[in-house]
Amino acid sequence: MTEGRASSDQPVHGPAAARRSMLLWDLPTRIVHWLIALLAPFSWWSASHDHLPWHRLSGYTVLGLLVFRLIWGFAGGGGARFAGFLRGPREVLAYLRGRRAAFLGHNPLGGWSVAAMLAALVLQVGLGLFSVDEDGLEAGPLARFVTFAAGRAIARIHHLTFWLLVGLVALHLAAIGFYELRGARITLPMITGRALLAEGSSPPRPARLASFLLAAAVALAVAWFVAHGLRLRPGTAI
Amino acid sequence: MASLNVRSAAGGLALALLAAGALAAGLSGAAGAKDRQAHMKALGAAAKALGEQMHAGAPDKAAVKLQSDRIEAAAKALPTWFPPGSGPESGVKTRALPAIWRDAPGFAAAGQRFAQQAAKLGAAADAGDLAAVGGQMSAVGGACKGCHDKFRGPETK
Repeated sequence: MTEGRASSDQPVHGPAAARRSMLLWDLPTRIVHWLIALLAPFSWWSASHDHLPWHRLSGYTVLGLLVFRLIWGFAGGGGARFAGFLRGPREVLAYLRGRRAAFLGHNPLGGWSVAAMLAALVLQVGLGLFSVDEDGLEAGPLARFVTFAAGRAIARIHHLTFWLLVGLVALHLAAIGFYELRGARITLPMITGRALLAEGSSPPRPARLASFLLAAAVALAVAWFVAHGLRLRPGTAI
Repeated sequence: MASLNVRSAAGGLALALLAAGALAAGLSGAAGAKDRQAHMKALGAAAKALGEQMHAGAPDKAAVKLQSDRIEAAAKALPTWFPPGSGPESGVKTRALPAIWRDAPGFAAAGQRFAQQAAKLGAAADAGDLAAVGGQMSAVGGACKGCHDKFRGPETK
């Protein structure tokens, strides 16, 4: 392992060649990350303290963030693109066997853990949309498409998949702690966006403003439409 | 005095009747618990359907009346859903707490509150007053919760 400790900027994985500080995580990516980090615990808290309207609002916001993130994974800045950090089985195995190639942003394991967390969030939100509480008084906005019994069953699954998310987040925090203790500064770059990237490597290409505006518009529209039960003649949000 | 054989037969018959009665009570307790659970699920389905109407852009007044009437009818019938022996002692996995039978006046009062709010809901729906129905739904929900908080146990795993 040859990570150096720079006194100023934060080193990431890779050989200790000369490094330059570059923008790795663009602002939308960082905002999505930290908002989800706040909203996921808030969703848990609001549900367990019987504040279902807050719980739904939190869920709709996470839904919008997820829609945005999924689009951004194809249209966003280089650091956010799935093609940039989802690597094939050979690279993952090589990383596990200790071969430390230089790479931009997530290491091969980290990249797939991001995918796993996003998938678990999509699952959790998706199930919540169809959930019905035990008295039929509170329900997700799309529960009108399922029976009371089905909505109850979905709610029970929604309670179970919560633990999958907890497990993945626990792993995520443990891994970050592990890397930080070994000198890889990865938390601060997710706040500032900047990381030391090896000299000679090109910084990730920034996204176009038009891409951001389009992705944000789609995310807002989807969240709004879902919150209103996908009704062509919407009444009140649920 | 009857002969020994007749007395034995009478005693045996009495025991058999007693056992049959206990068995029947146990069975009817279980049946009572299962019936109640079916009623409660139907009530939940009506609450769900009513809520969906109230969130719609153009609520269907007939559907609102149908579900409100169901809730009102259920509230009236609710006291009959708790026959003695239909609690946890019935052997059925039920969340009905023994307090229902131990604190009969308290339970009856909670049931009365539900019936009152449900009757107002029914009246609002009959009058076609959707705003009143919406307002009454929270009152009904509060009555549901008022009873459940005291007389329904936590979800059994």
